[in-house]
Amino acid sequence: MSDRMRIALLLAPAMTVIVVLFFGGLAVGVMRSFNWMPVIGLTEPNLDAYRAVLSDPDFLRSFGLTLYISITSTLISAVIAIAAALLLRQSFAGRGAINLLFQLNLTVPHIVGAIGVLYLFSQSGFFARMAFHIGLIARPAEFPALVFDPFAIGIILQYVWKEVPFIGVIVLAQMQALGTDYESVARSLGASRWQAFRHVLLPLILPGVLSASIIVFAFTFGAYEVPLLLGASHPQALPVLAYKTYTDVDLAARPEAMAMAVVIALLSALMIWAYLRATRARLRS
Amino acid sequence: MPAFGPPLASLFLSGVHDFASGEEPTHNEAQGLKSVPSLPVEYHVHRKCSNVAHVMLDICSTYRTTKTTKSGVNVMRILTVTVLLGLSTAAPSLADTADGASLVGQDWEAIVEMARGGEVNWFMWGGADNINIYVQDFVGTILMNEYGITLNQIPLADTVEAVNIVLGEKEAGNLDAGSVDMIWINGENFRTMKQGGLAWCGYTDRLPNNALVNWDNPVIANDFGVPVDSCEVPWNRAQFALAHDSATLPEPPRSIPELIEWIKANPGQFTYPAPPDFNGSVFIRHVFYYAAGGVDNLLGDFDQAKFDAAAEKTWAILNEIEPSLWREGATYPTSINQLNELFANTEVAFTFNYDPSQFGIAVDAGIYPDTVRSFGLVDGTIGNTNYTIIPFNSPNKAAALVLQNLLLSAEAQLEKARPEVWGTSPGIEMDRTDAAAQEAFAALPSHPSVISAAELGKAALPELQAGWISAIEQGWLANVGN
Repeated sequence: MSDRMRIALLLAPAMTVIVVLFFGGLAVGVMRSFNWMPVIGLTEPNLDAYRAVLSDPDFLRSFGLTLYISITSTLISAVIAIAAALLLRQSFAGRGAINLLFQLNLTVPHIVGAIGVLYLFSQSGFFARMAFHIGLIARPAEFPALVFDPFAIGIILQYVWKEVPFIGVIVLAQMQALGTDYESVARSLGASRWQAFRHVLLPLILPGVLSASIIVFAFTFGAYEVPLLLGASHPQALPVLAYKTYTDVDLAARPEAMAMAVVIALLSALMIWAYLRATRARLRS
Repeated sequence: MPAFGPPLASLFLSGVHDFASGEEPTHNEAQGLKSVPSLPVEYHVHRKCSNVAHVMLDICSTYRTTKTTKSGVNVMRILTVTVLLGLSTAAPSLADTADGASLVGQDWEAIVEMARGGEVNWFMWGGADNINIYVQDFVGTILMNEYGITLNQIPLADTVEAVNIVLGEKEAGNLDAGSVDMIWINGENFRTMKQGGLAWCGYTDRLPNNALVNWDNPVIANDFGVPVDSCEVPWNRAQFALAHDSATLPEPPRSIPELIEWIKANPGQFTYPAPPDFNGSVFIRHVFYYAAGGVDNLLGDFDQAKFDAAAEKTWAILNEIEPSLWREGATYPTSINQLNELFANTEVAFTFNYDPSQFGIAVDAGIYPDTVRSFGLVDGTIGNTNYTIIPFNSPNKAAALVLQNLLLSAEAQLEKARPEVWGTSPGIEMDRTDAAAQEAFAALPSHPSVISAAELGKAALPELQAGWISAIEQGWLANVGN
């Protein structure tokens, strides 16, 4: 057996799963999004579903909301993560314990985090109850709406809580690999602490921050469970809207649901491409 | 949807009996309407099953059932039935009572004698052990001991399978030797049976226990908006109720107009889940009935003109109360669980459910306070009924009649109402039964937080046909929930 043959055989199980399940499902989804569903008599592919979806104000509002959630969550997470990494790379008493605490919620599933946000920040949650006991509010409705709210504060809170350690760990590893030599040189040549960070360290860690942020953006754009649990009834995040359309009693809505899913997939593909470019830039640096 | 033929329509909302989990059927029945179309895999299987050559239909259904049946005994039963079906043409059964027309001419004693020593194949959803035990042990034992009839319970994952068998038999020309003698059914599957001429009709007044059924009740006389027309016999009921905390709100509003006034006077303390949540959708239908000036005008097929008139008023009412809802109506709960959570945390003053026993369960679990009580509305709340039906080509109609009559009896309905047996609401009027049965029924342990089915049933409203329900849901999303 030649080496190529052996490699092909060894890869076969994994590739079968990827090709058949992933690309198979993707292909069926794409076909249905083009209104091609012979089983219910749709045999002439067309772009009706895309036309309907892209001209639907509900879809556009959902798209805008999802974009807003992803961008805001990613930006806030990245800023806090860099700040945290700067602190954590210094040596201080109890650093090990703090480091562990910082990374602890990496293992907590998003859905658990979402329930936690609900219990803490809802109008009858932990903080609302505290506010009631110290006399700040008299009724649940007087507590600011932080979940199911139009600004998606609850959703963003959950993502920030979950993604700060993710970006932070990557950035911290990068900072530790770089060491402090470059910054020391800059400082010895008269740069302020801020200048040393802004012009020396930040450009060095930027590719890492970027690639981690792209992963976070792509994930939050396609995630379903957090906006489902913490989002308002209208507009809904794109994945929630897509699933709702998919489960509509009217089977004719299926192609539109698939068109939405394809839009989400396309955007994620774009993110993967951007991620690959960013990583290559990082390797070059 | 209009492009699809009848087979698809029949499986489309087949979920009325698609009890996917082991939960109590009355509850699931309600949910089923929504759940089936969301399962694309099921859809393909159905499609395949309903489109293969007619001869294949039995095998197809048998395969599906076999796959989803836990017990090997049940599989054997299905195979036996299928084999018997094949043999029955060669050796005619001893007591063939396929001729329904001549059967209804007989008196009851003669029908019982014709049924004696025979068997009856009852196809029913089989996903809940307590129901299977009730049917096999309690009903099956009486049927054997008192009438010598063997009860073959054929468990299904989805009632549409049985409907497809009957449909396939009819198309294959099997008009008097079908394999299905009785089906547990309601909603869309009943409509398919009736539209396809698959049901045996016009016999229900032959059953002695038919006197216990209140056919004047629209919830019983109509099965999801389709008139029953003596084609099926009621078995159980489910009905919508609201819940409030009697400690903070001793006198809740008891009609839709009163509730609307209450909401305006108490801003922020009421909301309802957005459709497609099933319970939110039922709540909106109550407002829709009120806006339409009653439900009588809405029964039957979907009517765009009638819908438009009532819908306009409904959206006006719901938009008018919106600023007084929880969060000023800027958002709605997206599931009944979210509403229950808001109610448990006293953010809102009401929750509601198609299955009022849920309130008692939540109180016992410590989620709601003990002071929670439930109530119906003076103009009635929406209920639905599930039934047993006899296919037109059943060769054991006499035995099926005896079984239906037994199921309607005070004894069988009482046993079924026991919380430890099943706890479902009777399909008959218990106050029409004898004193002993009434006494025993009244003595059944009840939960203080759960309104009794009898109390609730005093004012009941029928469900609408599927066309109405989806039009109301879509109209709400476009006009209120945006």
